[in-house]
Amino acid sequence: MAYAYLFKYIIIGDTGVGKSCLLLQFTDKRFQPVHDLTIGVEFGARMITIDGKQIKLQIWDTAGQESFRSITRSYYRGAAGALLVYDITRRDTFNHLTTWLEDARQHSNSNMVIMLIGNKSDLESRREVKKEEGEAFAREHGLIFMETSAKTASNVEEAFINTAKEIYEKIQEGVFDINNEANGIKIGPQHAATNSTLAGGQGGQQAGGGCC
Amino acid sequence: MNFFRGVMGGQSGGTQPSGVETIQKLCDRVASSTLLEDRRDAVRALKSLSKKYRMEVGTQAMEHLIRILQSDRSDSEILGYALDTLYNIICNEEEEEQDGITDRAGHRQGGAQTGQGTDRAGHRQGGAQAGAGSQAGAGEVIRNDGLLLLQQLTKGNAAIQKIVAFENAFERLLDIITEEGTSDGGIVVEDCLLLLLNLLKNNSSNQNFFKEGSFIQRMKQWFQLGEESGGGWSAQKVTNLHLMLQLVRVMVSPVNSPGATASCQKSMFQCGLLQQLCTILMATGVPADILTETINTVSEVIRGSQVNQDYFASVNAPSNPPRPAIVVLLMSMVNERQPFVLRCAVLYCFQCFLYKNHKGQAEIVSTLLPSTIDAQSISAGQLLCGGLFSTDSLSNWCASVALAHALHDNSNQKEQLLRVQLATSLGKPPISLLQQCTNILSQGSKVQTRVGLLMLLCTWISNCPIAVTHFLHNQENVPFLTAQISENLGEDERLVQGLCALLLGICIYYNDNSLENYTKEKLKQLIEKRIGKENFVEKLGFITKHELYSRAAQKPQPSFSTPEHMLFDHEFTKLVKELEGVITKAVHKSSEEEKKEEEVKKTLEQHDSIVTQYKELIRDQDAQLTELKEQVQLLTRQKEQMDITITQQLSQIQQHKDQYNILKLKLGKDGAGSQGDVQVNGVQVEELTALRVELEELRTQHTLLQTQLTEKDTLITSLKSEVAQTSEGSAPASDNTKLLKEVEALRVQVQSQQAEISQLQSERHALQRRIQTTSGSGSEAEIVKLSELEQRLSTQTAETHRLQEEVRSHSESRAQLEKELAEANSTVAILQTEKSKLQQEVSESKKEQDDLLVLLADQDQKIFSLKQRLKNLGETIEDEDDLDARDQSDEDDDEEDEEDDGETE
Ligand SMILES: Nc1nc2c(ncn2[C@@H]2O[C@H](COP(=O)(O)OP(=O)(O)OP(=O)(O)O)[C@@H](O)[C@H]2O)c(=O)[nH]1
Ligand SMILES: [Mg+2]
Repeated sequence: MAYAYLFKYIIIGDTGVGKSCLLLQFTDKRFQPVHDLTIGVEFGARMITIDGKQIKLQIWDTAGQESFRSITRSYYRGAAGALLVYDITRRDTFNHLTTWLEDARQHSNSNMVIMLIGNKSDLESRREVKKEEGEAFAREHGLIFMETSAKTASNVEEAFINTAKEIYEKIQEGVFDINNEANGIKIGPQHAATNSTLAGGQGGQQAGGGCC
Repeated sequence: MNFFRGVMGGQSGGTQPSGVETIQKLCDRVASSTLLEDRRDAVRALKSLSKKYRMEVGTQAMEHLIRILQSDRSDSEILGYALDTLYNIICNEEEEEQDGITDRAGHRQGGAQTGQGTDRAGHRQGGAQAGAGSQAGAGEVIRNDGLLLLQQLTKGNAAIQKIVAFENAFERLLDIITEEGTSDGGIVVEDCLLLLLNLLKNNSSNQNFFKEGSFIQRMKQWFQLGEESGGGWSAQKVTNLHLMLQLVRVMVSPVNSPGATASCQKSMFQCGLLQQLCTILMATGVPADILTETINTVSEVIRGSQVNQDYFASVNAPSNPPRPAIVVLLMSMVNERQPFVLRCAVLYCFQCFLYKNHKGQAEIVSTLLPSTIDAQSISAGQLLCGGLFSTDSLSNWCASVALAHALHDNSNQKEQLLRVQLATSLGKPPISLLQQCTNILSQGSKVQTRVGLLMLLCTWISNCPIAVTHFLHNQENVPFLTAQISENLGEDERLVQGLCALLLGICIYYNDNSLENYTKEKLKQLIEKRIGKENFVEKLGFITKHELYSRAAQKPQPSFSTPEHMLFDHEFTKLVKELEGVITKAVHKSSEEEKKEEEVKKTLEQHDSIVTQYKELIRDQDAQLTELKEQVQLLTRQKEQMDITITQQLSQIQQHKDQYNILKLKLGKDGAGSQGDVQVNGVQVEELTALRVELEELRTQHTLLQTQLTEKDTLITSLKSEVAQTSEGSAPASDNTKLLKEVEALRVQVQSQQAEISQLQSERHALQRRIQTTSGSGSEAEIVKLSELEQRLSTQTAETHRLQEEVRSHSESRAQLEKELAEANSTVAILQTEKSKLQQEVSESKKEQDDLLVLLADQDQKIFSLKQRLKNLGETIEDEDDLDARDQSDEDDDEEDEEDDGETE
């Protein structure tokens, strides 16, 4: 139960790209073949370990449908990490990435770690977006990239864990203000006592950074 | 979406008193105007002021705006203005920090005065003050109003509920509740709890978030009520606790997904929340409605969770002596003086304790069984029986349903309960519980009592043919049921009729035809004759058509608007749903159809048996297959071993062959050139011949010696007679000494003879050595082995070729190989025995020779002594032997001999 850190994630991307399936695979190790349209947002959680530390991930899976956009935008700001998902078998979902990214950058805090995910890698025969294209887009926009399959679970763990690693590194570097819960990061009960001084130091570092 | 942070953050607002009056006027218009347009204009005006006079609008207009959100929902324009205004109030701009503490206090007072001054607002402020002391300020007012706003916004809107939760609402709300003193806190706590309820009720995503955020653990402290809870049980405290209990129930509600409920139940036990609730349950002085709600809460926390149920079973009331909580609760259930809702709650708790809990069911039933009845203390079983047969129909109903819950999905306990016997009035024999139930049923008691008993009976005998048989065994039961069903009774009796039809239907459906009078067929005929199929089915339908049925079917908790409405039990409605269709079908089915079905069943069974046979066959064959496989494996392994032995032997043979060739070569070099082409076996033959020759020689020697012996024997005889003749004339004294001397001399002779023997032996050794040298340079044993192996080689090389082929072709060759190996071994054995026989012969002849030599020595001795005697007697005898003997004797012997000679001469 006790954790060192708690990270809040959001999962965004067009409808039907497999956001809910990715979450289900990550939390329950199951696959849901039927498209159950997400209404608004759904919550999921899981504990992972990074660097020997327990990290709790709280994940909000958002609805991809346009009509829910105003609701889902409310979640950007409070998240430390975002999985931006497209479907490798549907080019339009790839084409919409720019819009998604703009939206995310506009509403989120600037340090939010974004992981670009090309999902449904199991459907190689129906591929419309090359892996290289995904890599190029990610490079261009400073994102981490991975191709996953929510169906076979390929790279699903990695996608969530690598995002957490990136956030964790940013914390170590003092980029994140971990005392501000609005950033989607919380120090766990396991950590709180010993880390208060460290956190203070990091806060100071950040203030210094702000001055320059 | 920053508004929540703004609300909860308690930021202070602006401070320009000039707008106060205008705002007050606008607020009045919003509150009192009956025209929508007028209200709309006023809100628009408030909106335009809300940025500049954030604080003022916030303190004065909030309540009105919230009311607008409620009452003018239909007009989106006014809603928009109201929301915008609220947003402006809540949105905390940093530049408004300059506000001083004294100013804040002033505003608060102003706010209180200028506001509507309702009780609620007053309470809220009081609560805030009590909780936060002098720090209470306008920010708090806004916070508190923000709570109300959020309550409105989140009501029935899942999307907003989730956003609010995402913005850390749970954490903030729980913090406020703690700060305000939990249940002892004021209306602020109540507002927080109401908002929490909005966020969690029917929102599985938020419930999951609440659980995953470890907030269940934080609920535990809400229920840590001190012995003397300060301020007693104020109305506010009761309200707060009520909401707190409701929040617990929201998390473990039976309508939630089973997985979610189970995991919440688990953490409620692990963090000690359940234990805390049970403490309240057993505490004294708890108001009845809190106690009732606590019982309902405990019920849902344990429902279907074995660990929690086990814990609950172990809870004792702090009475003296301690009684199980279950017993204490049941006492209330069958107590007429207890409030109706409390009795319902206890029944619910009991049901939840037994839900999916076979262990608990067995424990309850066992308290009724004769072997385990404990006369000392009151048991659950006793209380249930008491309730079943009390004069209070509510107790009858509750006890019937409670007992039925001890039987659900548990045919074992259904059978066990058949054993229960009840003592009746003095002097009469005890009767079974089943009998007693039907007796009361037929006595025409209250509808509630009969409905309860019929539900118990239906549950009891359904899916339990033995219980059906027991029930039918009572001759009065079937006539009673048919009479009840067939009669045309009033509205009140319809439900009873329906239940009777159900009971009779169960008697048909779960009948194993063990009673001749009441087989399925006979009962069906009875229905047809006495009631009529259609009529029966119609009566059966009375159950589900009852107005109270569907309400009970909705949720497990028994809740009735009045005690008279207490008729259906939730679990029982499930049973009805399950059975109504199948019973209707069973009754409608003609006997022919049934026969057909039976036939189909039979053919199916036959099919089944054929399939079973085949399955067995397959299983057998499978076993055989495995056995054979194992054999094959074994044989392969043996074959491999044999192969290895063969290769080993082949190489050995090759080795021996090589050795043999070397020996042969050597033999050729040794000059036995003429014997160059002697066969391997020839060596042995030759040796044998040599041995035989030697033996022959020894035999002839033997014969020679024997003839000598015979000669000497005759000589002795003749000499003896001579001696007899001559001894008559000689002196006996000198004769004696002479004889002694003679013996001595003979001893000497023996010595010499012994020397002769050893010489013979060494001669023999030499002879043997000679034999060895003639038969080659190898030792005798080696030669034997070599020849033996040569022989084996010849046989085995042939055999090996054959064996190799045979091994490859089929595993039978193994047997042959063994046989042939045995043959080879036996040849070896034969050779060995032959060899040992020969050796034995040699040693025998040696022994024979030795014996002969001994004999010879004896004879010689005798001859010598006799000769000596003859000499002494004056006869002249050839003395070669004597001389010879003397020449060959040792020096010691010589000395002795000389002495002897001296004496003799
Ligand atoms: N073959 C394959 N199908 C997938 C994969 N991931 C998701 N799907 C399918 O894609 C469909 C949509 O998946 P969802 O996870 O419901 O999509 P979503 O992104 O949550 O959609 P919205 O909730 O509408 O935003 C479903 O039929 C899934 O079975 C995958 O990795 N491989
Ligand atoms: Mg989805």
